Amino acid sequence: MLPAPDRSHTNRDTTLFLICIIISGAFLFTPPPQADAVATFVRGTVLLPLVELQQRAEEGKTSRSRFRALQAERDSLVAKAQALPVLEAENARLRRLFSLRERLATPFVAAEVLHQAQATDGLTLLLSSGSDDGVAAYQPVIAPEGLVGVTRAAERRASTATTWAHPEFRASAVTNDGEVSGIVAPFFQASTGAPLLELRGVPYRDSVPPGTLVLTSGLGGVYPKGIPIGTIAGVARESAGWERVYVVRPMVNPGSVSHVLILTGALRRPVSDAFPPDSGPDG
Amino acid sequence: MADRGTRYRFGLVILILIGLHFYLRPRLWDARIAPDFFMLALMLYAIRTRPGNAAVAGFLVGITADALTPARFGAGALAHTLVGYLAAWGRAVFFADNLLVHAGFIGVGVWLRNFVVLVSSGASARQVFVNLVTWSLLQALTTAVAGVITLIVFRDWLSIRLDE
Repeated sequence: MLPAPDRSHTNRDTTLFLICIIISGAFLFTPPPQADAVATFVRGTVLLPLVELQQRAEEGKTSRSRFRALQAERDSLVAKAQALPVLEAENARLRRLFSLRERLATPFVAAEVLHQAQATDGLTLLLSSGSDDGVAAYQPVIAPEGLVGVTRAAERRASTATTWAHPEFRASAVTNDGEVSGIVAPFFQASTGAPLLELRGVPYRDSVPPGTLVLTSGLGGVYPKGIPIGTIAGVARESAGWERVYVVRPMVNPGSVSHVLILTGALRRPVSDAFPPDSGPDG
Repeated sequence: MADRGTRYRFGLVILILIGLHFYLRPRLWDARIAPDFFMLALMLYAIRTRPGNAAVAGFLVGITADALTPARFGAGALAHTLVGYLAAWGRAVFFADNLLVHAGFIGVGVWLRNFVVLVSSGASARQVFVNLVTWSLLQALTTAVAGVITLIVFRDWLSIRLDE
């Protein structure tokens, strides 16, 4: 390889590079409320047409899937069409979402998840509903299987949510029988290659068998009582005589969820009745 | 120096890629492995411009990515600035007129971008490792393939030298 004669690496290039790096670094250390304000402004102005374009693409994808699913049901070739796993999954997911809508007594807003290309997609999600629909910050985001996360900021036609996989996520939780409570936080296990949750702060004298359902406790003022978070998979670690930390297998995978509901109403009413006992972890 | 017509045609290709990013990409497979057309546009721009301009373009693309995925605001800007600058600098220092070298450039750029984003977002070491050897690798591959197709289809419009 030879040095290219038609390009020069000047001080101007270095200066521009350093300026951009310094501004990026400053953004990295900006407190979240200010950073969210900048992100909301950018999304609500410059990116608005692009977000709407992606929203239409998602709607088109969903409509197409639903149309095909309905057509397949009427068609004599229903078996062949439903063999397509993507359509089957989409169809099942929408059916479960519709069932959840009917069961929920708390006011809610439906939203599509606009997945992004950046590697951190899944830690935060861009949702297709915003303040025009009644969405505000710190409202629970759920899927038919259980908890996805909480809204972080909302502009007119879109909002962002922090999912349970985000390093800063915490929720007060309780086991299905109400006997054991603790705090759930994200936990990454390299052997599974996927983020999990852990239930912290369980007293050493309390033991929780694997498979036990973990729900939101309703404490803390963000999540109503009764949203499934996950099931106990085993003990992560323990401090002798003090506490046990349990691994929780989450109900929902934020990286692949396509439709969610945002609970916009008062959080006084438990929502556990809305989730049927057959809700299982999302594939 | 590229003439005005060439610049307009190049701008049109960039606009097409941005359109594909927001309209086609959501319809393709899993979002984690679908080609990143926005990053591809940045790499194509970086290949034919000065490092300083590529750094600024990378910064703007990064701010856009951060606004849409605000896990840690600034992480995307930092990563895209770095990758844009390095891509333009690498292209300026070495000739790389081969189609596969361009594809490699694009793939490595996407992978490096993901690495910097994950590290600066505060992800755990295990999380970074698993992501880099699975989703990021696949995304780099699909973006490189999309880059090769773009280079072949818009070869004359992009004014990028390619060996026959």
